[in-house]
Amino acid sequence: MAILINKSTRVLIQGITGKSGTQAASELLDYETKLVAGVTPGKGGEEVDTVPVFNSVVEAMEAAGPIDVSMVYVPPLLAKAAALEAISAQIPLVHIFVEKIPVLDVAQILAAAAKKGVRVLGPASVGVISPGEAKIGSIGGPNPSAVFSKGQVGVISKSGGMCSELAMLITTSGFGQSTVVGVGGDLLTGTSFADLLLEFEDDPATKVVVAFGEVGGSSEIEAAKLIKEGKFTKPFIVFLAGKFAESLPKDTALGHAGAIVGLEANMEEKIKALRGAGAIVAENFEDIPALIKKSI
Amino acid sequence: MKLFEFEGHKVLASAGIESPAFIVCETAAQVKAARTKLKFPVVAKVQVLSGGRGKAGGVQVCSREAGLLEFAKEFLGKEFPPRLARSSGEAGHGEKVKYILLAQKASFEAEYYVSITYDTALRKPFLMFSEKGGMEIEEVARQNPEEVIKIYIDPVAGPAKGDFKKFPVSFEFATKLWEAFSKNDCRLLEINPLAKTEGGKFLALDAKVILDDNGLGRHEDFDFIPKGAITAAPSERELAAKKIDEGDYRGSAGSAFLDLAGDIAILASGGGASLLVMDSVAAAGGKPANYTEYSGNPSREKVEKLTRIALSRPRLSGCLVAGAVANFTDIYETLAGFADGLKSVKPKVSYPIVVRRGGPRQEEAYKMLKTLAKREGFDIHLFGPQTPISAAAREMVELSEKYKSKSKSKV
Repeated sequence: MAILINKSTRVLIQGITGKSGTQAASELLDYETKLVAGVTPGKGGEEVDTVPVFNSVVEAMEAAGPIDVSMVYVPPLLAKAAALEAISAQIPLVHIFVEKIPVLDVAQILAAAAKKGVRVLGPASVGVISPGEAKIGSIGGPNPSAVFSKGQVGVISKSGGMCSELAMLITTSGFGQSTVVGVGGDLLTGTSFADLLLEFEDDPATKVVVAFGEVGGSSEIEAAKLIKEGKFTKPFIVFLAGKFAESLPKDTALGHAGAIVGLEANMEEKIKALRGAGAIVAENFEDIPALIKKSI
Repeated sequence: MKLFEFEGHKVLASAGIESPAFIVCETAAQVKAARTKLKFPVVAKVQVLSGGRGKAGGVQVCSREAGLLEFAKEFLGKEFPPRLARSSGEAGHGEKVKYILLAQKASFEAEYYVSITYDTALRKPFLMFSEKGGMEIEEVARQNPEEVIKIYIDPVAGPAKGDFKKFPVSFEFATKLWEAFSKNDCRLLEINPLAKTEGGKFLALDAKVILDDNGLGRHEDFDFIPKGAITAAPSERELAAKKIDEGDYRGSAGSAFLDLAGDIAILASGGGASLLVMDSVAAAGGKPANYTEYSGNPSREKVEKLTRIALSRPRLSGCLVAGAVANFTDIYETLAGFADGLKSVKPKVSYPIVVRRGGPRQEEAYKMLKTLAKREGFDIHLFGPQTPISAAAREMVELSEKYKSKSKSKV
């Protein structure tokens, strides 16, 4: 078991003929993920790495059958149209890899998804991997097995790089991951830490969840609330990054679009909320394996 | 990008929201000329990006020309707020006042607070309102939370008429506000205070606007003054770094660049890992000369440009190139960009360089850097993904301390 994706997940890539779309396609095939179709308007009839390309999502679904996940790999200003196409086709999970989408477009995508009961992951999400089962997005690059291994630890991070970094730390200390999810670092994201904790709660393969938190936003506070309400009962280990920025003026923007000093909750408030709810806050990044050992 | 108040009024005007007549001045001569076009009393306001301007004395009502000139003399060209002016040149928190705004004083019968921004937990835009115009909304929320009213907005349809029945702000005005917010790709639009005149007209007596950087690409008509990451006046390095990503959305390099007061140049990778890198350097007792990050598989050229900018600071004592294990960023290409940048820096770099990376083509990249170090005599220390970022940061700080004491003993 795992969350969001598994061996039987059927995947479509929008923008499959682009440079990163093509690269993602070959990585998915290498990982034996069921990539059944691609879409690029005007390129219907072509093939990318044995995967048939269609002009539209609807056309792809008619020919290739049901789709569980669509991965959006198009330029930022075209992302809204692509995502809305997948949402109106009611593909259950729309993964948006694209970075730098204007926040208004994101809000409109998420509003449409909510109406249709579609889950959006991202934008700016590196993807998801359930080691040994399947992956979506560009997580793990061409060689995911170098870093990711099957196991009992669920992993959540806004940052793609930190997904790999955490997985490597967990793998080299003798543990493995059930599912690793990059939620993306934008101001608004379709799937939050709290949403994923609900999924991990129901996943028997997951015994503990590790998250990489950041300065800005409220995702850690929302997660703490969920734990307090008793909706997530497994051990939750969080590392928070960006302490250096606490002394910078309010509104200073860092690498992630959502990493804004003073936005909604500061570090102290996050730590207090998490600890108050019974979550484990790791002081040092390298402490995480020992904390996992204690929790399992 | 945060805007000056006078720029914010432009954003409001684009949707037909009025402000009292105002003139922006950069010199005392301009103040003199402006005075003849405005009726007294006139409100003089320093134009800075930091908040709490009124409390710090940056807003004054003047009833004579002498008062205006005195105001101009007191603030123009000086650091604001005045009590922070001591540390100019540092990664400063005081701002040099380049503009003052002179506005006709408006008469009104009520003052409100109104803003639109995004709720990141509910993932929706919302309008926030309070009857306590002129007071900071955080303050109102602390004292009387029930006085802060939130109205959520459908990001496709805009404000709903039913939400504004019997509301001090009309539906028509809310619609204009939403238009200004959405058409200009704002992240925050705040009018505090918003005045209601006796005739029932709304006037924006202030304007705080933060634009969504991701939306700037579709507004080539914007002519707002470039801003720095922390200060109103961007440093040359911040400006140059921002330019790298313009016109090429593939991968970012330098979109976030902060000039800081330390002596260790930072080239971090990844939105999340870059925070860990900075925290680790600080925890090891080091002082970063900057914050920046590149990620999303940027081209070799982008990383080369960013390297040149990061290494352009005089008297550096080290350079840390660090990031997490990359998923899809080509480590060889990006580190080749670093090498290109490093080679071009004059005078030749003699301080220690610590590299900690992992991911696609990392081994090939390290081989290339080893050869470069040997051939050109650079002091490069390479660490693979098995070395924690924090350990690499500690190594960097130690090497930089050694380098500093060695250079001192030479002098």
